Amino acid sequence: MFSRILDIKSIKKSSVIGLNERNIKLIYPNNAKKHYPLADDKVLTKEILHQYNIPCAETYAVIEYNSDIKKAWEYCKKFTAMAIKPANGCGGGGIKIIKKDLDNNWTSSGKVISEREIFQHMAATIMGFFSLGSHDRVLIEECIEPDPFFSKIYPAGVPDFRIITLDHQPLMGMLRMPTDRSDGKANLHQNGVGIGVDMQKGTLTQVYDGNNYYSYHPDSKFVVQDVPIPYWKEILEISVATAKAFPLNYLGVDIVIDKNKGPQIMEINVRPGLGIQLVNKQGLKETIQKKNK
Amino acid sequence: MNSQTNLKVALLLITIIALISIGVKIQPILKNYDDFNPDMVYAINYNYFFKSEDKSTTVKSFIPKTNTRQRISEKQSISDSTLVFTKEISEKGNIRGIWNTNHKNSYHTLHYKFVYEGREQSFTVPEKFNLITDKYKYEEFLLPTSNIQSDHKKISELAKQLKQNTQNDKQVIKNILDHVVSIPSAPIITLTDALTTIEQNKASCNGKSRLFVALARNLGYPARIKGGIILENTEKRTSHVWAELLINQTWVPFDPLNNHFAYLPANYLEIYQGDEFLITHTPGIQFDYAYQIKKMNHISFLNMNSEEIRELSNISLWKVVESGVMPQNALNLLLLLPIGGLLVAFLRNVVGVKTFGVFLPVLIAFSLLQTGFISGIILFVVLILLVGLISYPFDKIGLLYTPKLVISLSIMVGLMIIATMIGITYNIIWLTTLTFFPTIILTIAAERFSRATVEDGYRTAIDKLFQTLIVTAICYSVLSWSWLPSILIIFPECILLVITWSMLLGRYIGIRWVEFYRFRPLFT
Repeated sequence: MFSRILDIKSIKKSSVIGLNERNIKLIYPNNAKKHYPLADDKVLTKEILHQYNIPCAETYAVIEYNSDIKKAWEYCKKFTAMAIKPANGCGGGGIKIIKKDLDNNWTSSGKVISEREIFQHMAATIMGFFSLGSHDRVLIEECIEPDPFFSKIYPAGVPDFRIITLDHQPLMGMLRMPTDRSDGKANLHQNGVGIGVDMQKGTLTQVYDGNNYYSYHPDSKFVVQDVPIPYWKEILEISVATAKAFPLNYLGVDIVIDKNKGPQIMEINVRPGLGIQLVNKQGLKETIQKKNK
Repeated sequence: MNSQTNLKVALLLITIIALISIGVKIQPILKNYDDFNPDMVYAINYNYFFKSEDKSTTVKSFIPKTNTRQRISEKQSISDSTLVFTKEISEKGNIRGIWNTNHKNSYHTLHYKFVYEGREQSFTVPEKFNLITDKYKYEEFLLPTSNIQSDHKKISELAKQLKQNTQNDKQVIKNILDHVVSIPSAPIITLTDALTTIEQNKASCNGKSRLFVALARNLGYPARIKGGIILENTEKRTSHVWAELLINQTWVPFDPLNNHFAYLPANYLEIYQGDEFLITHTPGIQFDYAYQIKKMNHISFLNMNSEEIRELSNISLWKVVESGVMPQNALNLLLLLPIGGLLVAFLRNVVGVKTFGVFLPVLIAFSLLQTGFISGIILFVVLILLVGLISYPFDKIGLLYTPKLVISLSIMVGLMIIATMIGITYNIIWLTTLTFFPTIILTIAAERFSRATVEDGYRTAIDKLFQTLIVTAICYSVLSWSWLPSILIIFPECILLVITWSMLLGRYIGIRWVEFYRFRPLFT
């Protein structure tokens, strides 16, 4: 009984930030609602990134009306690969990666796709099929090729770094990797794994799959502990640059490493999740206090 | 900082004002606390009109008395001064009012008024009854009478037939009741005896009750007729009779007209027992009568009448109740909404439960008050799953959000109508209660469910549905507390308190209870 009370006390003192505290202490005072679209709309995000010359995937085209699809396509079809995204999609819905195969056919997820189908997908995006019914824009951009560093850990899918910034300072980071069960997705909710990051040293720490901690990737068994992250200095630099470019003081910055161009900003998030605390075995409150000292 | 302090002061002031206002009223309310807790209150007025003849004229009528489930108060006999009112207690324990006059050939009006407060009552019937050892004591409840021919061959045959293939006493009684209930009802005003009820194969309450009693007596169960009035907010001339069986020293009610098994509804006024007439009078006189019945607003836990409650304080909603502008149910719903909302806010922000829709659990809990908890919950789940399932192919086709929602809504409405029709056709009552559910909100919940199955997978969607059900059950358990609407009517200040508590909840930054589980590796 007595130990239970002590237990509760230790919990109270703990440095974990819950959803309530995140909303009231971090999001509401730091991110004004009117600026949310800058993060939620990928087209707006990229406009600002380009403006500040922050590295990110090259924008091939932005399509606002159905009548513009053909014209944009005439320009885009010279590239060998591209990502087609809804500007306001949620949960990764509506994102299509298309690539040219050896016979010059377009393929998506390994299957041949006709131009007609590509146009239909764009038209559906514009009609708001992936953004709850409101009119949307299509963003066509360069397709990122992950750095070979990642294929050592796990060979498939697109892994990305998530850096949390508060007042333009990086607080905490993690690397999100796909697994055999996550269907190429790197999200923790979708059975991906999170790998903790030592922000000072720029090395990976431990792997968390939602239940257990490992020192290696659970599928490839590649030991990640103390492995240095390539381009770590650049990663920190571009996350700080991004945080400064936006009028949002509490951000989740998502970064991928392209094998040719190095770290690139993928997108930013005004309501970054709290699972990163679990991945790093550390409460955000503690981290914030340390930074303020 | 300054606006924060102002806000705190304002909240504190509101709370203090609300508490003072509540405090002023609490003293008289505690003093008038009533542990009888009636479900219903009616004011009843017997109105009798007659013309006296050449001789002394008498009108007699049974009058009710207080017992464990009904309380009779404010009894009053009003008549012209030539009528003399006396009361007698019969050997069966019934009270009879007697109005007598010696004025010849004159018109008379008499009123007997009283207030009825009553509760519903249900009994558990044991499978096997104790043997009646003292047959002599209960002789009058076992022997045949001229209208309850329990020894007649036809009654014996029917009784034997109903007893066949039964395992215990409870089943016998159930069979008898079911059989008598199945006899077609007919509004026959004249006396129908037990035998005639079998022969005609139709009867009103008195024929059915006599047959029920006759069959029970034939099989050796002590039984009697019970007389009274089913109270409704109207003026009526029909009284009612039902039956009672003596089961292990307790008289247990059975109504073979309205199919009540060991149950007496709250609006059954008990007046007398035995195969008697409610009114008797000197033969040959002109006589007319009516029962004037008025439903009274009441607060179950207060032994106060309408005026006393009104005078309690200006800050109460009793005037709204009295004016009748709003149906009581609508007023209750309105008052309970903030309470339910606060509960959901607590469960979401402090406990951390996730639900489909913020107020869906509250509204579903309300519907459950009408449909009954278990069948309501099952209906709710089946509706959500069915609509989610049927909408699934439409999801796959790739339709825009709003038209897709309209399709789901139409499917929901269609299902509700079909279920109600099936319910009516096959007389399945719980199916006809579907329309109590808030259709649009249900549709949105179903839509969210089907979307969750696509986005987060079946497990997460079912998990969220399950959490919604838990919140609904908690809301139901709080909102179904019958005192709650009455408390809010007397203390509408509670709504203010809900606002202040919500402000506190709104600034709550503690860890949600489910987060203790989620972040458990960080706490050890």
